[in-house]
Amino acid sequence: MNPFSKLKQSNYQIVIISLVLAIILALWKPHVLVEGLQRACLYAVIALPMALILGIVGIINLAHGDFMMLGAYFAYFLNVYTGIDPLVAIFPALAAFFLIGMVSYRAIIKYVLGAPELNQLLLTFGLAMVMEQLANLIWTSRPIKLPLPYVSASATIGSFTFGTFEFVYVGAVIIVLSGLLLFLKRTGTGQAALAVGQNPRGAKLVGIHVDRTYLFIFSLSIALVGAIGAIFMTRHSIFPLVGAPFTMKSFCLIAMAGIGNLMGILWCSLILGLAENFVLSFRGYAGWADILFFALIVLVIMVRSHQRQVK
Amino acid sequence: MPFLKTENLTRHFGGIAALNHVSMEFREHEILGIIGPNGAGKTTFINVIAGIYLPTEGKMYFNGQNISDLPAHKRCRLGIARTFQLVRPLQGLSLLENVMVGSLFGKGFGQREAREKAIALCEFLELSDISRDITRMTALEIKKMEIAHALATQPKLLFLDEVMAGLNSDETMEMIALVRRIHSRGITIGIVEHVMRVIKELTHRVVVLDWGEVIAEGPYEEVSNDPMVITAYLGEEA
Amino acid sequence: MRNLRYLLYIAILIVLITLPLYTGVYLLNVTDIILIYLALALSWDILLRSGQISFGMAGLFGVGGYAAGLIHLNAGVNPLISIVMGGLAAGLLAWLIGMAVLQLRGMYFAIVTLALAEIFRVIVRNLPDLTGGPEGTVLPSAIFAGNSTKTYWLVLVVALVSVIASEIFRRTRIHFALTSIRNDEVVAKSSGIDVFKYLVFIFVVTSAIQGLTGGAYAHIYGFVSPEGSFSIDFTLLPIAMALLGGMHSTWGPVVGAVVLGVISEFLKLKIPYGHLLVYGLIIVIAILFFPQGIVGTIGQKLKKAHRA
Repeated sequence: MNPFSKLKQSNYQIVIISLVLAIILALWKPHVLVEGLQRACLYAVIALPMALILGIVGIINLAHGDFMMLGAYFAYFLNVYTGIDPLVAIFPALAAFFLIGMVSYRAIIKYVLGAPELNQLLLTFGLAMVMEQLANLIWTSRPIKLPLPYVSASATIGSFTFGTFEFVYVGAVIIVLSGLLLFLKRTGTGQAALAVGQNPRGAKLVGIHVDRTYLFIFSLSIALVGAIGAIFMTRHSIFPLVGAPFTMKSFCLIAMAGIGNLMGILWCSLILGLAENFVLSFRGYAGWADILFFALIVLVIMVRSHQRQVK
Repeated sequence: MPFLKTENLTRHFGGIAALNHVSMEFREHEILGIIGPNGAGKTTFINVIAGIYLPTEGKMYFNGQNISDLPAHKRCRLGIARTFQLVRPLQGLSLLENVMVGSLFGKGFGQREAREKAIALCEFLELSDISRDITRMTALEIKKMEIAHALATQPKLLFLDEVMAGLNSDETMEMIALVRRIHSRGITIGIVEHVMRVIKELTHRVVVLDWGEVIAEGPYEEVSNDPMVITAYLGEEA
Repeated sequence: MRNLRYLLYIAILIVLITLPLYTGVYLLNVTDIILIYLALALSWDILLRSGQISFGMAGLFGVGGYAAGLIHLNAGVNPLISIVMGGLAAGLLAWLIGMAVLQLRGMYFAIVTLALAEIFRVIVRNLPDLTGGPEGTVLPSAIFAGNSTKTYWLVLVVALVSVIASEIFRRTRIHFALTSIRNDEVVAKSSGIDVFKYLVFIFVVTSAIQGLTGGAYAHIYGFVSPEGSFSIDFTLLPIAMALLGGMHSTWGPVVGAVVLGVISEFLKLKIPYGHLLVYGLIIVIAILFFPQGIVGTIGQKLKKAHRA
């Protein structure tokens, strides 16, 4: 095959265009490239667990970001009472939130699985409100932060200095994404989960225990997002509403990438993370960065609905 | 001018062609049988003609008008109606109101007229106790309600998708008589069925689908002896 | 029998209209708030009947408030007319959003509405010359110079508009269209219903009501601000009210609004901070245990007794 014919394929065109843009950014606004990359990975790693629930259990968890918030508070208090570093707290967080996920599923979520989508949306919306308000009552809206020395680590290339701690998000997303892909494609449980996601009735007919799959996947998702909250705690100040925006942004990414496309979430996060930081870098327009995700999701929806051949 | 004409009608789902270059015609006032083994594409055929799916390729003409890009609700107003294989009654509405939906929006009647027409249709189909909740109906009654709903839109072409499924032999005879009564009102009917007795008795012509393609066409006697058709059904007997 | 019911409605109406004659200012103000939430709850329910959920009421409410306030302030338009224009502004916005987003419905639409309040808040905060920025804008005076009777009548009219809208949508063919669309869009389409057109229409009308309510609210308090006008209260409470009272009806949200309105007044006195939590809990409990709400559950019990 002629190597140049590969150049014509749109995938390769996209890769080349992206590389060119990246180089331009690196020279013009290196901050945007680095911070956008880090931020993008944060968005991606939070969105992945939500994609898992949406793709396999089939419900949208509007309280997703709030579980992350709880994870952050968990890590904070663990540190205050036992001195455990939040990064180390990832492990107890995984365990604790797996349990929390199991309880949530059994006590609440299970009831609306068969109900119309409306009920699921309303239930998780109510749940989100309860979590946020409870957090507000117990811990007040005062932002809290842990003074950790290592978060201000930085490196310098030439005249350009950037924070290096935030690359932990890049590491996190690589671990979580590859872990999930391996799990779903290479393990029995994972493949069963995929089957359930595609066709729960069919899966049941071949003997897959659908309810247990839902339970596991849901708990896994909550465990992951709780652990991510612990990581988040290290670098950001947290308050009860800190998780809410991530719910919306996660959904935007999933909608852009398409349900079931985990890799795609990473690419879409890169686009969004870089775009967001790009807008933020222009003083005076910084306030508009928040709308970026919203504008993009509307655009995606419009494009998608025009692409549809099925009415 | 043919009543309904399809040219190379094709519809893909993912990589699979559920309909593959289907070219056929409906003649006005006929009862056309649409048969084929499971998965042949019969319901997809109805869905594409009714406008629930757009074709990937090909065209459709209804009374000379190209309807290939027309949205479903406009096709309904032009006079194409259908029933559903898995019945879908509308919750929150009574039996009569379910039927009324058809007369309200199929032809845009006002509420009072729509109600009267719906009542008349229920009588025509011998449905009683029409203000009752739809949760307490027999299988036959639900099917009749579906048909009444479709008839309420005043169609010129009506597709019946496996209306005989789940009926015992008495009910089947009743339904056959019903279809004849509908036909006598001047409505062209396309009937998808697995019960061959029904096809034999009711239809003027039959179209046989297999893997999304038309493999035979003609009166039932001819088609049922066609070796290709027999192979397609592989042991299924009329 | 029917005439008796109409008589009852007229009696209630007379009581409501003459309320200021025998209630104090405090109770009137409480009723004002209840009526505002009632209008929002009804408008939310109307959209719900089509099968779509909006989490963006606070957004459209705030847009109506800002539009009404700023038009009055900058163009000197009469406050009452500016309130109507607030409703129109919200309706127009809803039309644009609906045309763009209602092709993909369900959770896509719901999530987009979730962001609405935040988006508008951001926009408002970032146009300080127009909107007064983060601090908001104070209007020259509260409408009717704060006369509590006239203010009450204004809010009553707004609430009645939503009640009338709800009833119109229940008694005309729109009821059939909405119920069909909600149940099964394929069946609706096959019956000749232009689903998209109906959804956009309903979204625009309900958003206009929300904008109208927001405009009234802005003029009553004489103040608009990013935090106040787009507060989550205006999304959360109406949903809780409609769920509590009973979805898909006019009486449901009305009952829910009155019950929850009264409870929230008590709550505010007893626990100054926890009330949003209570509303969230009500939503969760209602969805889990009695999705029919008060009116719906009573209705079901009556039907059962009737049969027995």
